[in-house]
Amino acid sequence: MSTTATPGATVEPGSKSHGRSRLLGIVSNQQVLLLIVWLAMIGLFTALNRIFFSVDVAGNVLLDWGPVVLIALAETFVVVSGGIDLSVGAVIGLSGVVAAYVMQDMTTKGQGQWPTLLVGLVVALAVGAIVGLTNALLINKARLVPFIATLATLGAAGGLSIVLTGGSPIGGGPPNAIELSVPWFGPFSTPVLIVVVIVVLCWLALHKARLGRYTYAIGSNSFAARAAGINVQRHLTKVYVLSGVLSSLAGMFLYLRLGSGAPTSGAGMELDAIAAVVIGGAALSGGVGKVTGTVLGALILTTVTSGLIIIGVAPNWKQVVVAVLIAVAVAVQGFRRNEGASA
Amino acid sequence: MLGLRTSSSAVRGLVIAGAASVVLAACGSSTPAPSTSSAAPESSAPAKSLTIAFVMGAEADPFFKAMKVGAEAEAAAKGVTLIWQGDPSQYSPATQIPFVDQVLAQHPDGLVLIPTDPDALQASVAKATAAGIPVVNVDTHVTDLTDVLSFITGDNTDGGAKAADAMAAAIGYTDGGKYKVVVGLTSATATTNVARLEGFKAAIASKYPGIEIVDVAYSQSQPATANTNVSNWLTKYPDLNGIFAIDGTNATGAASALQAKGLTGKVALVGYDAYPDNVAKIKAGIFTALIAQDPAAEAKQAIDDLVQFITTKDKAGIVHEVVIPNVVLDKNTSDADLAKYTYVS
Amino acid sequence: MTSTSAPLYEVRNVSKQYGAVVALDNVSMALYPGEVVGLVGDNGAGKSTLVKCLSGAHQPTSGTVLLDGVERHWKSPHDAIEAGIETLYQDSGLAPHLSVSANVFLGREVLKPGILGKLGFLAQKSMDATAYAELERVGIAVPSSRRSVAQLSGGQRQAVAIGRAVTWARKVIILDEPTNHLGARQAGEVLQVIRAAKAEGLGVIFISHTLPHVLDVTDRVVVLRLGKVVRDAPTSEFSADTLLGTITGLIDT
Repeated sequence: MSTTATPGATVEPGSKSHGRSRLLGIVSNQQVLLLIVWLAMIGLFTALNRIFFSVDVAGNVLLDWGPVVLIALAETFVVVSGGIDLSVGAVIGLSGVVAAYVMQDMTTKGQGQWPTLLVGLVVALAVGAIVGLTNALLINKARLVPFIATLATLGAAGGLSIVLTGGSPIGGGPPNAIELSVPWFGPFSTPVLIVVVIVVLCWLALHKARLGRYTYAIGSNSFAARAAGINVQRHLTKVYVLSGVLSSLAGMFLYLRLGSGAPTSGAGMELDAIAAVVIGGAALSGGVGKVTGTVLGALILTTVTSGLIIIGVAPNWKQVVVAVLIAVAVAVQGFRRNEGASA
Repeated sequence: MLGLRTSSSAVRGLVIAGAASVVLAACGSSTPAPSTSSAAPESSAPAKSLTIAFVMGAEADPFFKAMKVGAEAEAAAKGVTLIWQGDPSQYSPATQIPFVDQVLAQHPDGLVLIPTDPDALQASVAKATAAGIPVVNVDTHVTDLTDVLSFITGDNTDGGAKAADAMAAAIGYTDGGKYKVVVGLTSATATTNVARLEGFKAAIASKYPGIEIVDVAYSQSQPATANTNVSNWLTKYPDLNGIFAIDGTNATGAASALQAKGLTGKVALVGYDAYPDNVAKIKAGIFTALIAQDPAAEAKQAIDDLVQFITTKDKAGIVHEVVIPNVVLDKNTSDADLAKYTYVS
Repeated sequence: MTSTSAPLYEVRNVSKQYGAVVALDNVSMALYPGEVVGLVGDNGAGKSTLVKCLSGAHQPTSGTVLLDGVERHWKSPHDAIEAGIETLYQDSGLAPHLSVSANVFLGREVLKPGILGKLGFLAQKSMDATAYAELERVGIAVPSSRRSVAQLSGGQRQAVAIGRAVTWARKVIILDEPTNHLGARQAGEVLQVIRAAKAEGLGVIFISHTLPHVLDVTDRVVVLRLGKVVRDAPTSEFSADTLLGTITGLIDT
């Protein structure tokens, strides 16, 4: 066919307008804005107390960031797919507690640190995968909306970890496990370095691989995805299991940090995850969200936590700061949407 | 106290409330079944077996678990049928009031109530009294205690003062010296936190003027947040002498932060609440001292008061407000006492 | 230009019931290669249900579906797509947050060669280039195949959706209201794309309420009323008035 029929607006394979739109893109880019906000925060906290700008504090921030970014990454996949996972915090508690019992038992029987931690990790991952699978079944088979399905597993997992422990933290695992959380590479400790690798893997999976492409497609228009031959239910199962597994890694991270598995670990942290994802630019309506945004969102949240302690302001202010950041993020998103509609 | 007793934000409360109702629904009953434990009457038992309902704050809290053990033991000793009730995880009047209504419908001979809110539960007390059911408050109390037979509580202010003594001993306090300590709290409003901090501050002001509380922060029920707070304090105050972790959550977070920074034994740590894992850390030298409550003794006193009043209709000898002191656990405490005061799980 | 060769795609005596509701009642129709068949009927006549049975989204309660004379049982849209049948659904064919090329390749992503491909990595550059070229080939040009669909105008979106269907269809294209909400010029361009598909020998099923478009582009018209085929005749036998009368039942069949 040689005639070029073009319904709609004018055709310009244009590379001319490309350069300018790219520049505009960078300025209105949420990730760049977040980076500026984060650097400004570091500047502000440092100005108020010099101690803030130290390897030590950076180490504290990163230890805080690890579990938050793990569940925020989990939430990113789910939110991009058009869903929401309220169970990420409860999975932290349950996987940490179950792994703690197993590791306590192995340590009592005289097993060494590494085999014990490895088994604990596998057990934690299994717990996360089971909760994720339960979410997927409730959504795909019982036809519950993700909010209700994951609210149910939040309650079940949270309740189960309290039933298992009676509310107390479970220690008695490898006695030196806590030392793994000590930074040795600048502010980076081994668990934090592992999280950095996981962040890169998640970035590849969401932005460069078919897994991510399907996730965006389903969140953007699940009808179109199904019509294009994508097995939507099977893909959503993968997304929720991935979410559970990433959350259980956060549970293991907190175990290494606290030296025990506490049933209250992670309680309410789903709100941190959702906040990080929204600040990072994701839309709860699905189809929008980036790993870089989530990483920066989590970094901003945890920088605020440590910063307020260092400058001596009651951390209750964190909620206020987070609320402002969410409002700004949503406003920026609305601005960009209008921009897109008028384009 | 376990963090679930205080909800730090309305949103979180909402989520937990939803979760709790899901748990209940999952148990297959819309009105939760009471866990009833009856005991064989003994020789000292009254002719007619008494039924006492016990509505506590949150089933999951180790504090209430320990209280349940004490209540069950005393009920068995007195030949009383015990109805133990309360929300599985949420410490809130909204979830507690239906439980009170439900047990009152069973017409118990007496009610032990741990009001989750001083004003919201006042009407429930009036309702019970109107039905001729005597009420005892434990741990916390309703605003107007006129209709309440007795109120038994642990003394959190005294516990705070004892923590100050333990702290002074741990840092080798001498007059004229300057010492820096920090306090890890769960929230600014939790009554137990407030009372303990008050007692701690008062004791320092009167006995240890050289100690300065340089910072306080809130963990919002998160041991990880407590850890972050303490980690940052250790950076901010390289010359820090001691940490007072005001409850179990803060104790867990502070202990792990000290361990990770390699400062165990160098910075004194006085904790609160005898969780098994924390009691084990006394031996390891991570906790200088732990302050423990005695919930079992509180429950025992409450049941004794009720049984006496129901059987004799006489208030003589019943003290209207009873304070059960907190105990200090440290490396000199005997194993038997450590075991006695450790909260069961 | 109805061909006299064997039918390309055919339904025989197909019925579809949703509980007690009979949406399709013993419907038979055939589509020949290089033929454009118009499927018309009032709201609730059964057009959407028939489209869903043809596209594999639903399974008929009874009756047979034949492609190239072979009986087929689609379990999902995926089966039908694999067999060469593309469907453009009314208003919802594209994922707005994805780029043009991601939409064109949706469900058929090209992976990188070698181990990276095995791990699921996308060959994005190659897909971008191919999508642009393929859309151009079927007569649709978009500013850039990397632009997200949400940034396109309504007409451009529809063009991409049709272009996508034409690009991938090997045998049959089903277009459900493709000219809806389009201006006259844009609609004319859509009809032009349909003619191009027909020239390539594809069978086209064109569902529309806009009767002038039906009369303009189709070779044959199938009229549905209350789940039944009431008329199946060459387009030349209809005028705008008689077609409307047949649809509404004013003209007795």
